[in-house]
Amino acid sequence: MRFRRALASMWLTAAVLCGNCVQAGPSAAPGEGEWTMPSKDFAATRYSTLADINRQNASSLHPVWTFSSGVLGGHEGQPLVVGDTMYVVTPWPNVLYAFDLTREGYPLRWKYRPEVDANALGVACCDSVNRGAFYADGKIVYNLLDGHTVAVDARTGRELWKVQIATLGNGETTTMAPLVVRDRIIVGAAGGEFGIYGWLKALDLSNGHTVWSASNLGPDEEMGIRADTFRPPYDQGANLGTQSWGNDSWRTGGAPVWGWMSYDPDLDLVYYGTGNPSPYNAEQRPGDNKWSTSVLARHPGDGALVWAYQFTPHDNWDYDATGAMVLADLVVAGRPVKALVHFDKNGFAYTLDRVTGRLLVAQPFIPLNWAQSVDLNSGRPVLNPAKQTGVSNGNVKNICPSLEGGVSPASPPAYSPRTHLFYTSTSNLCMDYAVRHARHLKGTPFVGVVSPYSAGPGGYLGSFLAWDAATGRKVWENREPFPNWSGALVTAGDVVFYGTLDGWFKSADARSGRVLSKFKVGSGVVGNPITYRGPDGRQYVAVYAGFGGDWALIAGDARSDDPTDVRAPAEPTTQIARHTSMGGMVWIFAR
Amino acid sequence: MDFRPVMAGLAPLRSRGRLLRPTAALLILTGALLSCGQPHDAPATVSPAAPPAVTYESHLLAGEAPVPGASLTNPHAGDAAVARSGAALFTAMNCDGCHGTDGTGWVGPNLGDGRWRYGRADGEIFSSIYYGRPHGMPAFGAALGADGVWTLVTYLRTLPAPADVPTESWQD
Repeated sequence: MRFRRALASMWLTAAVLCGNCVQAGPSAAPGEGEWTMPSKDFAATRYSTLADINRQNASSLHPVWTFSSGVLGGHEGQPLVVGDTMYVVTPWPNVLYAFDLTREGYPLRWKYRPEVDANALGVACCDSVNRGAFYADGKIVYNLLDGHTVAVDARTGRELWKVQIATLGNGETTTMAPLVVRDRIIVGAAGGEFGIYGWLKALDLSNGHTVWSASNLGPDEEMGIRADTFRPPYDQGANLGTQSWGNDSWRTGGAPVWGWMSYDPDLDLVYYGTGNPSPYNAEQRPGDNKWSTSVLARHPGDGALVWAYQFTPHDNWDYDATGAMVLADLVVAGRPVKALVHFDKNGFAYTLDRVTGRLLVAQPFIPLNWAQSVDLNSGRPVLNPAKQTGVSNGNVKNICPSLEGGVSPASPPAYSPRTHLFYTSTSNLCMDYAVRHARHLKGTPFVGVVSPYSAGPGGYLGSFLAWDAATGRKVWENREPFPNWSGALVTAGDVVFYGTLDGWFKSADARSGRVLSKFKVGSGVVGNPITYRGPDGRQYVAVYAGFGGDWALIAGDARSDDPTDVRAPAEPTTQIARHTSMGGMVWIFAR
Repeated sequence: MDFRPVMAGLAPLRSRGRLLRPTAALLILTGALLSCGQPHDAPATVSPAAPPAVTYESHLLAGEAPVPGASLTNPHAGDAAVARSGAALFTAMNCDGCHGTDGTGWVGPNLGDGRWRYGRADGEIFSSIYYGRPHGMPAFGAALGADGVWTLVTYLRTLPAPADVPTESWQD
């Protein structure tokens, strides 16, 4: 009783202190002070209008609270803040914590510990990651690594339903954050390293039942392609999802979904990217391999495919296109455009017309050499023949970027409508690439590659940069000693926030890149910062510290929890274990 | 007490082109072991149809009381030609997809550091591959057959463990 009264007075105080900001009470509609979906908004901008922390005062940013998730493994994804509660999902075993932000020390209201199959750890290609939850209709909805989606009562923590959407035995795991549009939960499965048959599904928010399922490759009928709705900007013809795959290779062709989705309510289109075609030996799958390494636009109501564009036809390099598709209204060559902006693993940043899928701008955002350019008329890359891989090409040396990508798809960018700039982490790595004929054996990897990395040109391994997507130009860049793997956050205070792989959390001037504050958070940052207004009216910034996400990148010598797994450092990140080790912490900062 | 069934004569459990279901494979393995004879101190309650009680050298024994059962002996131990076949199997069966090139570790642990999560004896490594392990190691028994698994074990035994594993140091 007393507590409730105190809470009410706190809200009142906040309302007085905070003139025009939307109050975020437990029953209030989602407001600007909240963070209710993974990418902040349907456009996936990761932009917040909060401006209490700004360019003038961000130098005073300091930690005010921490909590150990109790779990090791790559802490990708981000917390949610709904009303006066913060929700945190851990990597496997996918614990969900609900913190009471109204009380000192933010004690837990509840925690939810689902039963998750440990066998999933051998099917998840690269680490035990989870990319976060989505709040809708009083429910926290998220995926468990072992192919289940759950809905949990946001108030009580009680499990409302749990459904199986993917099958471990088929090589499928579920690492992505769902997207909820109206009463539909949109989900997909990872498994590009296991030869899955990639798909996207819509579940009923009320009970988890599958409403529709559409494949990302295969016959038109299975892909949700109909003559009256499908309008691809470049590629014409029936059944491209089978015709562009020699040897019937589409049946085990991958094209998984494990990144970030966005939604345009006016066009009623969901946008998402697909991962690599399987296996890595491209000669086992002659043809373009549509629609792997592509962006697809579907109606959430019935799953109908409206358009698709392939960034990397006949992928030779594991260039997944699962990175975020950010929706922004830009002026390109003097013309206002409903744009979709995507930083691809292949090193090009793409600006598309999101109504039609036509390509407007494609420029490298990091050093690359697998292609000369992208032809705007055909939408196709102009390839460098010396960097084509496949068994018959043997060990192909020095391909840039590496299969870690010019940016990890797990590290989403941010867009500020104030600066009109996009902000992204990058990795500057190259690789040698030797493939062999891979054998598909269900439940085991379908990969077959030896691909050692080296430092990219310029003597740095990664960066955080600002990008003008209307012209395809880099505006500023902060180089980092290691590949950068955190997502980005930008605010109306013109401050951009990001973490580094060696465990620094930084804020920088969104216009110049000048670092305003930095703090060592104990473990490498591969998660995505968020900001919110607390019940006390103050603006906070939260981020995970938890090194991981890809064992090929982190080299394994950063592990300390298993005395039977001792590894040498790997090139070129030989120094990383000197600066960080595995962890799992939630950090909150304030000024 | 020193009973060590040798599985060298055991035919591969996988007939060409057809995978046996794990239960079927288990029964065949059981039969093969039983045909080698029962340990003389095995409890009388063990039925002939029960799986063989394999002992693990790495396990602690409650009350220091030895568990009735048997160790497995690698029929190919030290055979360089078999080890080479094992190296080929290691990639052909996609082991490197988790354990990395040459078993140096990726999402699965390093197999070349001379350390073993589930025991270092050949028979313990055999069990890890044949039956799989929790936390992601698939059971390859039916896909590989017993001889195939021993072939892999023989290969893994040849991976050169580094001389100074425990210490990693950095110089400026």
